Amino acid sequence: MKCQKCGKDHANTHVKTIINGDYKEYVLCADCAKEMGYGNIFGNMQQEFSNMLGSFFGNTLPAVSQATHCPSCGSTYYDIADSGKVGCADCYSTFYDLLLPSIRRMHGNTTHCGKKSVAGIEYTETQPKKVSKLENLKAELDKAVKAQNFEEAAKLRDEIKELEKNNG
Amino acid sequence: MDNNVVISTRVRLARNLKNYPFPYKLNEKGRAEVNEKVKDALKNGNSAIAKDFQYINFDNMTDSMKVSLVEKHLVSPEFISNTKGRALLMLNNPTVGLMLNEEDHIRLQVIEKGFCLDRVYDLADKIDTLLDERLNFAFDEKLGYLTQCPTNLGTGMRASVMLHLPALKQSGAMSMIASNLSKLGITIRGLYGEGSASEGAIYQLSNQVSLGISEKSAIQNLKNITEQLVNQEVMQRERLVKSIDARDKIMRSLGILKTALTISHKEAVGLLSNVRLGICSGLIKDITIDKINEIITEIQPATLMVTVGKPMSPKERDICRADYIREALN
Ligand SMILES: [Zn+2]
Ligand SMILES: [Zn+2]
Repeated sequence: MKCQKCGKDHANTHVKTIINGDYKEYVLCADCAKEMGYGNIFGNMQQEFSNMLGSFFGNTLPAVSQATHCPSCGSTYYDIADSGKVGCADCYSTFYDLLLPSIRRMHGNTTHCGKKSVAGIEYTETQPKKVSKLENLKAELDKAVKAQNFEEAAKLRDEIKELEKNNG
Repeated sequence: MDNNVVISTRVRLARNLKNYPFPYKLNEKGRAEVNEKVKDALKNGNSAIAKDFQYINFDNMTDSMKVSLVEKHLVSPEFISNTKGRALLMLNNPTVGLMLNEEDHIRLQVIEKGFCLDRVYDLADKIDTLLDERLNFAFDEKLGYLTQCPTNLGTGMRASVMLHLPALKQSGAMSMIASNLSKLGITIRGLYGEGSASEGAIYQLSNQVSLGISEKSAIQNLKNITEQLVNQEVMQRERLVKSIDARDKIMRSLGILKTALTISHKEAVGLLSNVRLGICSGLIKDITIDKINEIITEIQPATLMVTVGKPMSPKERDICRADYIREALN
């Protein structure tokens, strides 16, 4: 794609913005995007940051032989690098080693520090949260069964089993 | 230390449900399910605040109404680029918004007037915990909250403050400040206008990194840097308003705003910024800061059209904007 500012090839940053009361979309090359201040935005003129990742990942594309599909959403590493968007939570474990260098470059760090979701907390006597989560899942299961939503019910049953296994 | 340099404070958290692909890979049926799950979780939450959320329907909205929500920072441009399968849950006073199926399944945001990072984060944290107990979030011990874009991994948090820095801007120090801040993991950008050239000298300061730094540390960091910038701005202001030329500019700006018959958004924002500086420095006494903040919000192009209730050409808008400002200031 051609950059709408300088006309050069390899425009990969899709900017979605509001100009004088109207919604506008345009495509820029990495240089022009940076120059116009779309490199690090949050808020009013939030752009699709992610597309910049395309160029981020560009140098680390693996040999074709390494490419596999994410078992959950079917994304390949190439899909992720190309779009700058990760397909699902499982993509992170599937392509962990491949994603890590880019993650390190972005954050200067690769290990989380801070709040933990109850989904990530090991169950202990002093942390009864997980029990309430289990109860919630069971209530949801009841609801799904009553609504004859069996696909959902099966999913919930698996989740409950796994939680009970971890707790027990 | 109430010097009105900080206009508002905002905290945003990105969250996703474990059992659904991220929005970009999620079909219409999946998106609808995610919307319902989050709505349910909020409704059944054991918190008074959760029950007051309103579901905003975008189906019958005009383009101006959508853009106006962006102008007021309630949704992102990305969100309105295609509202199909997306939803907005909102609460007023304090302003809380949940964008569903935008870049992540959930983008929770809390905004308040003034400089109040701790309070804003606490509320966002409370609502997040409430959702966490009822939804199965995508979370990894190593990478933290998993997000569609890896730039948000870790805490998924972006905390920011909106600052009015007319004196620092005039001193020509902004680009140097911006490059120094980026070394500290902080981003600064102009709110109106592109890049660092900010019409109205309104800037947004936010944390850049979300992985490997806790919410508390990131907020403390942002707080420290904001305080330093505020101090510098206050010092520069004292120096600036000693000059007759600067005071003249402020008073002339007020004169134009009180008398103009037609005015562009760009010009109005620049003049309002001067007047705001005049109020903060004690040169203008009969107008409040709140009034100026309100005018700055209301005169934005789409918001103006929503208030008037009809589409207008740019020329008509400029006339309408001048009318609104004259009435508000006289
Ligand atoms: Zn270009
Ligand atoms: Zn996947």
